[in-house]
Parts: sequence; structure tokens; C-alpha cells
Amino acid sequence: MTTEPHPADAPDLSVVVPADAGPEALRACAASVLEQTLRHSEAVLVDPGRDSATTRACADLAARHPGRVRHVTAARGADPRDTGADHARGTWVTFLGPGERLQKDAGRNLLAAALDTGADLVAGTWTRLPAPGEKLPRGAEQAEPAWQRPLHTRTRTVGSLTDAPGLVVHDSLVTGFCVRRSLLDPEARPAVRHEEAPPVGDLLFGVRAALAARTVTLIPNTITTHRAAPDPAADAPARITAAARAARLLARHGHPGLAAARERALLTDHVLPCAAALLSMDREERARTAAQVAPLLAGHLGADALAPLDPVARACLRLLADGDADGARDAAYALANPGTVVSPVVAHAGRVHWRPGTEAAPSTEAAPGADPLDVTELGLQYRPFARLDLLNTVTRATRSQGRLLLVGRIVLPAHALPGRPEVTATLVLTCRDQPARTLTLPVDDIRYAKDALVWRACADLTRLLGARGVGDRVWDPALRVTAGGETLTTPLFAEPETVKPAGALRARPRLGRLTGDTWQPYVTAHHRLAVCLLARRRPARLAEKLLHYATHFRPARALRRRLAAVAARRKRLAGQAVKARVYRTLLLRLPVRKGQVVYEAHMGKQYGDSPRAIHEEAMARGLALRPVWSYAEKPDGFPADARLVRRWSWPYLVALARAQYWVDNQGFPHALDKPRHTTYLQTWHGSAYKRMGFDEARVKTQNDPQRRRLQRAVDRFDHFLIRAPHDADTLGRAYRLDPDKLLPTGYPRNDRLVAAREQHAPRPPLAEALGIPDDRTVVLYAPTFRGGPGHKDAELPLDVRRFAEEFGSTHVLLVRSHYMERAALPATAPGTVHDVSGHHDVSELLALADVLVTDYSSIMFDYALLDRPLIHFAPDLDAYTADRGSYFDLRERAGGPVVDTQDALHEVLAHLDEADPHWKAARARFAEEFGAYDTGGAAAAVVDTLFAAHTPRRRPKPCPASRRRPAERSGT
Amino acid sequence: MTAPATQETPAAPAAEAGPREIYLIGNTVDELGGVTAWTHQMARLFRRQGHPVHVIGIHEAELKLTLPGPPDYPVTALYPSHPPTARPLVGRRRLSPAARLYERRRLAAKQAAVARLSGILAQAAPGAVAVVTQVWPMEWLRQADTSRVRLIGMSHESYAYTRACHRHRWVKENYPHVDRWLVLTQEDADDWITLDGMQNVGAMPNALAHLPATPSPRTGRNVVSIGRLADQKGVDMLLDTWALVAPHRPDWRLRIYGAGEDETALKNQCTSLGLDSSVEWRGRTDDVPAALAEGSVFVQSSRGEGFPLALMEAMASGVPCAAFDCAPGVREIVRDGEDGLLAPPGDLDSLADRLLRLTGDQELRDTMGDKARVNVQRFSEAHVLERWEALFRLLDR
Repeated sequence: MTTEPHPADAPDLSVVVPADAGPEALRACAASVLEQTLRHSEAVLVDPGRDSATTRACADLAARHPGRVRHVTAARGADPRDTGADHARGTWVTFLGPGERLQKDAGRNLLAAALDTGADLVAGTWTRLPAPGEKLPRGAEQAEPAWQRPLHTRTRTVGSLTDAPGLVVHDSLVTGFCVRRSLLDPEARPAVRHEEAPPVGDLLFGVRAALAARTVTLIPNTITTHRAAPDPAADAPARITAAARAARLLARHGHPGLAAARERALLTDHVLPCAAALLSMDREERARTAAQVAPLLAGHLGADALAPLDPVARACLRLLADGDADGARDAAYALANPGTVVSPVVAHAGRVHWRPGTEAAPSTEAAPGADPLDVTELGLQYRPFARLDLLNTVTRATRSQGRLLLVGRIVLPAHALPGRPEVTATLVLTCRDQPARTLTLPVDDIRYAKDALVWRACADLTRLLGARGVGDRVWDPALRVTAGGETLTTPLFAEPETVKPAGALRARPRLGRLTGDTWQPYVTAHHRLAVCLLARRRPARLAEKLLHYATHFRPARALRRRLAAVAARRKRLAGQAVKARVYRTLLLRLPVRKGQVVYEAHMGKQYGDSPRAIHEEAMARGLALRPVWSYAEKPDGFPADARLVRRWSWPYLVALARAQYWVDNQGFPHALDKPRHTTYLQTWHGSAYKRMGFDEARVKTQNDPQRRRLQRAVDRFDHFLIRAPHDADTLGRAYRLDPDKLLPTGYPRNDRLVAAREQHAPRPPLAEALGIPDDRTVVLYAPTFRGGPGHKDAELPLDVRRFAEEFGSTHVLLVRSHYMERAALPATAPGTVHDVSGHHDVSELLALADVLVTDYSSIMFDYALLDRPLIHFAPDLDAYTADRGSYFDLRERAGGPVVDTQDALHEVLAHLDEADPHWKAARARFAEEFGAYDTGGAAAAVVDTLFAAHTPRRRPKPCPASRRRPAERSGT
Repeated sequence: MTAPATQETPAAPAAEAGPREIYLIGNTVDELGGVTAWTHQMARLFRRQGHPVHVIGIHEAELKLTLPGPPDYPVTALYPSHPPTARPLVGRRRLSPAARLYERRRLAAKQAAVARLSGILAQAAPGAVAVVTQVWPMEWLRQADTSRVRLIGMSHESYAYTRACHRHRWVKENYPHVDRWLVLTQEDADDWITLDGMQNVGAMPNALAHLPATPSPRTGRNVVSIGRLADQKGVDMLLDTWALVAPHRPDWRLRIYGAGEDETALKNQCTSLGLDSSVEWRGRTDDVPAALAEGSVFVQSSRGEGFPLALMEAMASGVPCAAFDCAPGVREIVRDGEDGLLAPPGDLDSLADRLLRLTGDQELRDTMGDKARVNVQRFSEAHVLERWEALFRLLDR
């Protein structure tokens, strides 16, 4: 079955292998062709004839595999790939770069796609070797470009390149594809040839082939591997040239859109990596690279190309194009460490510019990208000194009298320290493996200079850095600067050539000289200064070798594996599956503890919602209960008058198993059955707009066991609180609840809202905590959770910065993203926007808000009770309802205007006073329809029903609010 | 890049390439089920094409499949009944003589089965192929001598369905060792390539066995559903959907064909929804074209599917379909909006909407039904057979 094909048969696929990377690489390439599952394939080795070892290897391979390997000599003046293509006999031709290998099914996959679709070019995916220090995704051995996967997710055939722009916009067609040989005819016009050496020839060949092909098929298969890692510094000039020529080629062939996209991709794919490489170069190399690259960028930094980029990236590109090597390097550092301020930015006429002198440019309201050095978007002007990550560059490091002398320079924007208050500093060294251990050393001198603070410190590491020598061998210095009552800690940015003259210092570890004898300053992979303990002298070196042997010889390796296995086993035993089993088999048999109530809100993420209101009511009455609260991560903010247990911990499981009552608003873990003696009150966390439970399409399509599990979890409920008949029709049915279990009391958490409506009470103390002046209108923005796993960084639909610019002087915006996601807010003027996502108590926020802006979050039903203006800002309402399904038409029954653009939202907000009276009736209807039972006495009614058997202790306990644990995030 | 894609001209019929021995190897030879039915359908087709065929199963089944006639090819079962499952000797079992005896007997029986399989495959002539219709027999094949045949694996489920169960691991362990393996659609193959990095995957659709001579007249005011009354087929969702449709279409009936374990529960659900007057329970049917001839719309509400034959049969009868888009196979067969209507899986409102559109518009039914009958013929036996021959040729190269 495995006979070699007859040499006279024309192969299906010819693989052209230029033998220009030495015999070793050549053999690997050829072996990957010989191992192809497609046996009708040949390798065409193109020998440049430069060294005899390669020629011998070629000849040897050809002799051993006649019919599969052919040896041709590169023609004079032609590119070896073109020579190979001329000698190829296969119907299809593919090319391998130096050291690249074909995946073993590659030939078959390419051929199958080609025969199936009749395309002239079939493109698969390729992977490359990782660059030194490059981090790969878990389990991956090789890297692949980020743009590749989306391009090749589905097998597809395109007749026009605009349907798969990534093929020619990025460097996709440099390997991993095959072309019909007839396309490579040297007589064809335009000729599809390499003509030049890589990377230019490679790249242009791919684009030429794609332009010449009538149809292209894209497949998801891996075709080639082991492509060499790019060297952005060395290749950048050639790659930029090639990319620019490819753009011109695309434009000439009538693809102006693709050409423009190629120009944009050139910046992100080649120029920015080149800028990042500047960080690892010495001064001379950096200047040379910048000088080479700068002229190539002329004409590529148009506003269109820059607009989609981050402001720091724009500045970085501009500086590189100006030939400012050091400036571009600093910007690259800021790109690698987001938030770092690397230049003395200046605020001028409402805009912020990269550095003094650049603000002279007309600062009109131009499109982003028009002025690349305009970095207003970063919001640096609003950040106080302590929250500015200022770049602190080590300018000099030497050894002076056995001590390490450091001189540095901290970038200082003019607005950072107005009035130049007195400034002091200390040098703090932190042990890398034990961050709690620090050493603080004095700084000899720190003073103001132009746009900077300059400092000088002399560290006697030998005497003062009292490391043990084991487990604390690396220390990271940072400078702690105090000025005007604010403190800022900045790591030390350094370059190898600056640190090199410092040499090494003697070390005296406490565990003796055998553990090490030298403190060596060095620059980390993140371009920061650090010192590490080394063994330089003979005794320590010998000890190090012995230790290495003792920890690495075979029994030690076996022991390590054994320990890892034990650790894994322990971890498994502490896992939820084991705990749930122990709970079911053992804990459920424990006797009841009379009066024990386990409370949980939003799976332990908060102390809030209705469980909190019930808890507070029960405590205020002084009922003889044993309250237990479950928390998810940290107990901060949870009440001190209850026992606190961590969710899924053993005490949690025991508490649940022995509890007389469970009170929760979302669901205790489904795997935990309710004990016989327990009454479960499900308060639920909001009326339903979107389809829930068994009405949800996702649940409907689950298989039988999964749906049975949900039913079993829901069957645990003994009482379920509802706010209106609407809840009975929606939630009650969706969870198939017995109507007797529905308690028409309303939500205890909303008692406060009803009270606030009736009393017109002053603003809650939270207003003061947040520093909100009385005259500002408080707008609460609380969108619903969208996305799911993997969508954690979902963007807020509201442009907070724009809102702050327009309403900053009259309004305060509180942003509460749903309890399951955290939105990172852009920097705005102080006092205009507050992130209240971490605030435990939502009803407090609602009571504080003068206006609520939400989409279709269930918070709207609660807020309606306050009879205050409500705006539905839901740009994706139709898509969301189509996706998730809804119980009613929001537009028809809303209690406030439904808007779908931010312009419309601003319009409504600006004219709220005039328009609001018209909404009063609708709002009242909305509140009645969805909250008829919310009359302010829910907590009392629930406590009456649930805890009827418990009488008050003689003396009621003091108000629990005063005894809460200090919350870290509360009110911030 | 202006000219449209040119299809490679269909290659010569298989007869020219010469006969080639084909072994079809599955879990069982005679089990009542889709894969076995497929096996015997393909065996007949290959046979008609002139290829010698041998159907091999690991064991004989208890619930037998009724074949149209006695097979004119050899059929072999390696075990008379389901082979004993492996019970590894770990923990307490390591010391139990009974467990050790069980394990020894199991291994001896397996060795005998492997030897028998090797014996059969050893007689293969050059060019022979073994098509492994399910992944389980790989446990025997990997121990057997398969050097004289090319192995083609198959999975008759969607990627998502395999992913959710133990077979995912089996596929990942076993199918890297076959020459090529096949899933039902290219979309499923793409998922195996991108999500699991398996590079030797291709796609092969199931074949439509039979094109009725005359399409349904589409005059009966019946919506037809055919399928086992089991959870996977989602008849409970169909009843809920019909409850939304029935009030608007009082003159239409929902005819449910099929039997299964959920029959009683579903009939109770039907009664409690008050649909008894508009739903007809017709039981199991062997004459699908006749059932379809009385219907004008076909509905499928499954939770999961592979490459649903029922949809193809309905389309072959010219009956337009409304279905949940629950698997790549469904969207491969039905072109949404062209020859049928698809709804997002589990979205009852959408499925009801599709049914209302089809039941309310005679012209839509006619155009879609006629198109469906034409379009579904791309899965005709001749076309699918040609794809198999092309695959065999590819593996020869």
C-alpha cells in the first residue's frame, strides 16, 4: 500500500524548498515533505550553490528519494523560489521558507480543497517559532499572528479579495498556501514571480498570486509550522517597504479600500513592534533604526490611518517618524505599561499635548488622529499627582565606595505639582518573592528641574540589604516620592547600557556566603532595574552546583512529581464535586440548629438586596435567631452581628445543612439539596422583562438531565416573593412554581424606596460620602449585564467622557455596571463621574438618584416606585429582545422615554423638566403594573410570615447599620 | 479575481476506477438506529457500483433493524452480544479474584475478536478501504492489523453534540490514527480543526435514499412532524409552539408521527394545553412519503440533530419545512428563506412565526416546496456516491 509513486507520474503538489538556511534546516524541510500523507508530492530543493555542505545534502536527499526529491541549482540572477517554480512538475505549487515544515496532512488538505472548489489558490494557516521571551497561550508550542484565526474560522471560497481582506491586508500569504502552477508561468502578464529576496519577495508574491487567482479558498487547517520568528528591529525597514509596495500594488489593481487597510495594518503589524523593539536596543542601535525607519513612514501617518489607534500609539508613531528615537522608546514603554506618563504633557486650551511646544498647533475640535500628539483622551489632566504613573528613568548607575550610586529623572507634567511644593523621596526595595518585605533607604537629593524631578541615591546594599540568601534573592527598587501631601511610588526604568557600569557589589547574606556573594544590578525583561544575589566566588559557586544537583538528580525530580501529584489530589479533594458529595451523604444528616438562618445575596457577592432588608428587620426586632451570611470573596462590608462564612467553604456547607431557614435572592448552589428541616425563602432579585427559567430558549434546548437539575433546584423553594401579578405570570410560570408558594408581599429591599417617595427625605448620607454638591442633578446609569463568559471587558454603551463634557457642570453621573461585570471608566474631570459598581446597597443608590438611565435592567421596575424620571437608553433593544426574548413590549409600556442614541439621551436629559410631567401618568401605570404589592411593609410582612415561631429577646439589639464592618469599596 | 468559481468537472464513474473492497465497520450490524440504516444503505450503493462490500459489527443487537431485503454482501458480528465493559483492576478490585477472572476473560474475548478482525482485513486486495462508521470499534481496530486497508473514520453527530459527551475524548484519542475521518458538514469539520486541532477531518453528507415520484400535492391542511417521541426531538416544545399557532389556524391539524418513551407525558401535555382537537397522534409509520403526501408543512423542533433524514425526506416530497436551527446539518440541508424557514433553537415564538407564515401563504408553500424538492437532490445517492469515490481517489494519491 505504501509504494512510492512512479517517478514518471506528475505529482499533485510540488514543494519548493530554497536551500539557503544550511543542511540541517534543509533536511527538516525535506523530511516534512516526505512524511506527507499525500504521496503524490515532490520536494524541489533549490541549491544556491554557495556552500558545498548544502550541495552535498541536496544531492544526498535527491539520490535517496528519487521521484520525491529533486535537486536543482539556482539560476544566476533569478530568485531561487522562481527557479524552483520553473522546475516544479506538480499541478499545485507551494513554497517553504528557511526551516519551515509542512504539517503532515497539509498536502492532502490543500489538494482536497483545490479539487473540491476549483480555486486557483488555497490558503491555510501557519504558525511560527516564538520570539525570545514571547508568551504563548496555554498549551501552544508555536505562535500565530492574532489576525489569522478570524480569517480562517470557516472553510470558504471567495471570488473577490474584498470578501477576505485579511489575506492581503496582513502578511498572511507569506507561507501556508498553494497556487495552481499555470498561474506561475513566467510568460504570463502580470507575472506571478518572487523576483526579490524575502521578506519583500515573499510578501509581494503572495499579493500578486492572490490578485491573479480567479477564486481563492480559505481553509482552517494548519499548513506550515516552524516559520522563523520576526525580528522587528532588523526586518522593520524591509517589511515596511514591502508592505507599502503591496499597498501600491493593490491600489493599481483597483482595490483602493484594501490598499488603505494595508497602510493601516502596516502601522500595527510592523511599525509598532519595531518601536517596542527600541526598548531593548542600545543608544546607537536605536538611533540607527529610527533613522532608517523615519523616512519610510512619510506619507503613512495620515489622520485616517491613525484615528483607530490608541493616543499613545499615535504619539509613538509620530515621534518615530520625526526620528526622535528616545521619545519613541518612551512612548513604547507607555504602550507596554498602560497609564504610564512618559513625557511632560501640557494642558492648553482644553486639550492636552504630548510635550511642551507641540500645543502651538491649532487645537480645533478636529477628528482624533488629526494631531497625533494630542493625548487629551487619556484624561491625564484630571489625575492627581499620586495617581499619575510618572516615568522614572535611571540616567546613571555606578559603584562608588562599595555602594550603588543611582541618579534618575522623573518626568513631571506642569499640572502635576502646581506651585512646586516641597518634595521628599525614599528608595524602597521590595523582595520579589515576598512582597511584604521591603527595605527603605534615604535619597540624598531630589529637586525640581525643567519638566522633571531629578534625584540621586547612594545605596549601601552590602551593609543594609539584609537578605537571608534563600527565597529572597531578587529585589526590585522603586522610588517613593512625597510632595504636597501626596505620595507616588514609581518603578525604575533602566537600560542595560546605563546599568552596566555599576558592576557588582559585595553581598553578605545572613545564611552565609555559600548562598551567594554578589549583588548584581540588572535590567528585567520589563525594562526595570532590579538587583539579584549571585554566586561569583568559588565556594558559593560550588554550593550552588551542589544544590542544583541535589534538587535535580533523578530521585529529587521524582519526589517533585510526587509532591505535585499530592497537591493536585488535595486540590481535587477541596473541589466542589467532593464537597457536594460529602454534603449529600454526611452533612445532610446533621441535626437542625434552631433559629439558624443562612442569608446570601447575589451568590455571596454583596451584602444587600432583600436578604439584607429581612436580616435588618429581624435584628431590629431582636428575634432570637442565629444569622449567618455567606460571602464570595472578602468579608468586607458584611455585617458584624452575623456569623460570616465563605461560599463553598466547609463552615458554609455545615451552616446550610443545619439551618432552619435559607434566605437568598438568586439560588444557593444547585448541587446542594435542601435539608428536610429547612424552610427556603427565595426573595428573587427583580421582576422579569427578558424570558427566564424554562421560558428561556437556552434552557429549552438543554438536554433532559440538565433541565431536570434546574427543576430540582427550583423545587427547593418554599416561598417566593412577588411584587405584582406580573411576577406570578412570568417568574411563577417560568420556574413552574406552585401558586401557593408565591408570597405577595413585595420586595423588602424596596421598602426604603417607598419610604423615600412618601417622605421626600433629604439625600442619603451617601451623597456626602461621594462629595456630591446639593445643586447637582444625580444621574444613575445602571445598564444590564450583557454578554457572558468571555465578554468580561464589554464596553459601556454610554460614552461617559462625552456625557461629562456636556453635563459635567450641572450633573453628577453614577455608573453602576451589573454585579457580574466591571467596566473600566475613562478618566474625566473630578467630581463628574463616580463608579459605584462595588457599592453593596443598590436601593441606597436608587434613593440618591434624581434620574435613572438604564436599558432594560430589572432595576427600572424598582426605581419606578420613587416616581422620579426614568430614561431607557437601549441602543441594542431590538437585538437583545430578539436574542433573549421578552415578556412584553418595552416601548409600549415603558415608564419613561425609550431612546437608542446618545444624542437623543442628551436631548431628553437637557429638557427633562419640561417633558417629565407628560410621563407622570405612564410612570404611575408602570409602577402599579409591576410593583402593586410594594407598599413599604414587605420586610415586616416577610419576617412575620417566615419567623412567626420566634419571639423577640428581651432587649432588642442596637441598630445593625452602626456595627458594620468597614467596607473597602463602599461609597467610593 | 472576477470570474466565478468553476467546479471541477465530475470525474468518471467508479466503474472505470475498478472495483475496490469496502469494509463498513460499526458498533452493530443490525441495531435499530440511524447509523446502521445508513451502513446498509451505503453497502447497497457500493455494491450496486460493483465494489465488494463486507459489513462488520462489534456485536449483534437486541432490537433488530428490518432491512428491505436480505443483504447480498457478507455481514459479520465479532461478538454474539454486547461485549463486557472494561473494569480496570484498581483499588479494592485489584485483590478480588472474581474481578481478575472477569478481566482476564474479557481480554481473551477481545483478543479473539481482534484476531478475527485482522484475519478478515488481511485478505484485502490493494486499494481496499475500511470505513469506521462510529468511533467505538476503533478500540478493536487499533489493535488489529490494518496495514492492507486505508482507514476512514466517521462521526454521525454534530460537533457540539460530541463535544458535550464522552465520545469527544474517544474521537481525540482514536481518530488521529486514521487516514481521514468524516463529519456530516464542513462547518462541523471546521470546528474540529479550529477548536481541537485535528487536521485529518473532512465532510461527507448523508444520502437521500429515495425521491418520491410525485411530490405532495400540498392540499391537506396538516403540519407534519416525524420523529421518535424522545426528549432530543423536542416534541414538548412543538406542542408549546402549536399552542401559539392553533388559535390562529383553526382549520389546520398537527400530525405527530412516531413513538417513544415520552409518549404518555406528551399526550398529557397536549391535553393540558387544550390541543386535543387540533393534534393527531399517528404513531409509528413505515410509509413516510404517504404521511408527507397528506401534509403541506413539515416541522422539526429538535434539541440536537446530526444530518436529519426526516428534513431531507420532507423536502424530497416537496413539503416546505420549519425547523429549529439546532445543528450545522440543519442549515446545510435547509437554505433559510429559500427552501424552508429556520428559527433560533428553543425560540418558540420564532418557530410559531415560521409556522404561521407557511400555513398562511399557499404561494410561499408552493415556491418553497418546489425549490426544496430540487435543492435536496444535491444529496441524492448519485451525488453522495460520487463524493465517496472522489475521497477514495484522494486517499490513493
